[in-house]
Amino acid sequence: MGLLNFTREPVPEAVSADMHNLNQLSAQQFSALTEVLFCFLTEPKEVERFLTQLSDFATMNKISLGPLKNIVKSILLVPNGALKRNLSSEQVRADFIALGLSEEKASYFAEQWKVNSPTLTRLAVGQTLMINQLIDMEWKFGVTAGSSELEKVGSIFLQLKLVVKKGSQLENVYVELTLPQFYSFLHEMERVKTSLESFS
Amino acid sequence: MAALRDGDFAALQILLKAPSKDAVRQLCQECFSSPPAALGPLAQRACPGLAVSAEEAEQLVSAVHNLTRHVVYRGLTAPEDILRLFPENFHQNLKNLLTKIILENISSWRNEAQASQISLPRLVDVDWRVDIKTSSDSIVRMAVPTCLLQLKIQEDAALCGNNPVVSALTVELSKETLDTMLEGLGRIRDQLSAVANK
Repeated sequence: MGLLNFTREPVPEAVSADMHNLNQLSAQQFSALTEVLFCFLTEPKEVERFLTQLSDFATMNKISLGPLKNIVKSILLVPNGALKRNLSSEQVRADFIALGLSEEKASYFAEQWKVNSPTLTRLAVGQTLMINQLIDMEWKFGVTAGSSELEKVGSIFLQLKLVVKKGSQLENVYVELTLPQFYSFLHEMERVKTSLESFS
Repeated sequence: MAALRDGDFAALQILLKAPSKDAVRQLCQECFSSPPAALGPLAQRACPGLAVSAEEAEQLVSAVHNLTRHVVYRGLTAPEDILRLFPENFHQNLKNLLTKIILENISSWRNEAQASQISLPRLVDVDWRVDIKTSSDSIVRMAVPTCLLQLKIQEDAALCGNNPVVSALTVELSKETLDTMLEGLGRIRDQLSAVANK
């Protein structure tokens, strides 16, 4: 086997056999299976649904679930590696062919890859590490009517509650701003937006 | 907040023993700014300058504190209002001097009171930087801009006394989060203008 695009490590032995078994599926069956796979790849949290769909596929096509799961594991190696390395659909197709999949099926999968890759890339970027991610911001503002030191005050205050994800926990941070501080903060955030937009 | 008590005006007359008008002025400022708990030590410091007993110094300092805080609390700005506070038989010159000193300081004292008001932790400073993420374990090559925002937050001044605790919170915002935040801030601004224009 020549150099693969999606990985630098040697591929497990079982993969060749799994590709051979895949070749035995009809075009229609392969297309249905591919659909199930991309459904899972674009919504990786839906594990239950994925397993149900696989089991339905196995029953409908009279394939045992165990071997099917192994085949699926082998197939998924390619899109996962391809996503990490920003591979083109030609490279994905070439890799499947190198692994032993028929040209027809490899081309079909590569096509589906092309269609789904923007969504998949967005997902991968979304999973990238974020430090103390800001999840939510709540606010209220009001007027201070009086205090123990000043009978009548009449000054405006603004309170922000920032929900920050620290590790796996959410932490609430409460901050109070005066009006001038608020306008200054708003101004700074608009500058940040301009900066971010110039890099997009 | 301290309310004026009966014995206060009697104690104020001790000021007649003060060496100069400036000394009275100084004392007024110190007594206003001091929290009730620190009045004791302040009285001890004032004692020698006034040639009075420790007990008299304490009563005086307490009285000046109560008077100045009372005026600020009520928001009195007219001289007549302040003069009216003093009893009939109060020493005329001293009354005028105290009124004058209070009027001189009233607006800075008011600001001081407002600044030391209780509040949630206050925003002290905002710094930011924009990074471009070029690579990660989930995707080897990318160009995703992200913002790091550092908020310096000071705990309630009243709790910390002279050593305010400032903590720094650094948060990361994606472009989407920033857009949502700006939307929220924009709405605040609109509501503020609506309130201001009423």
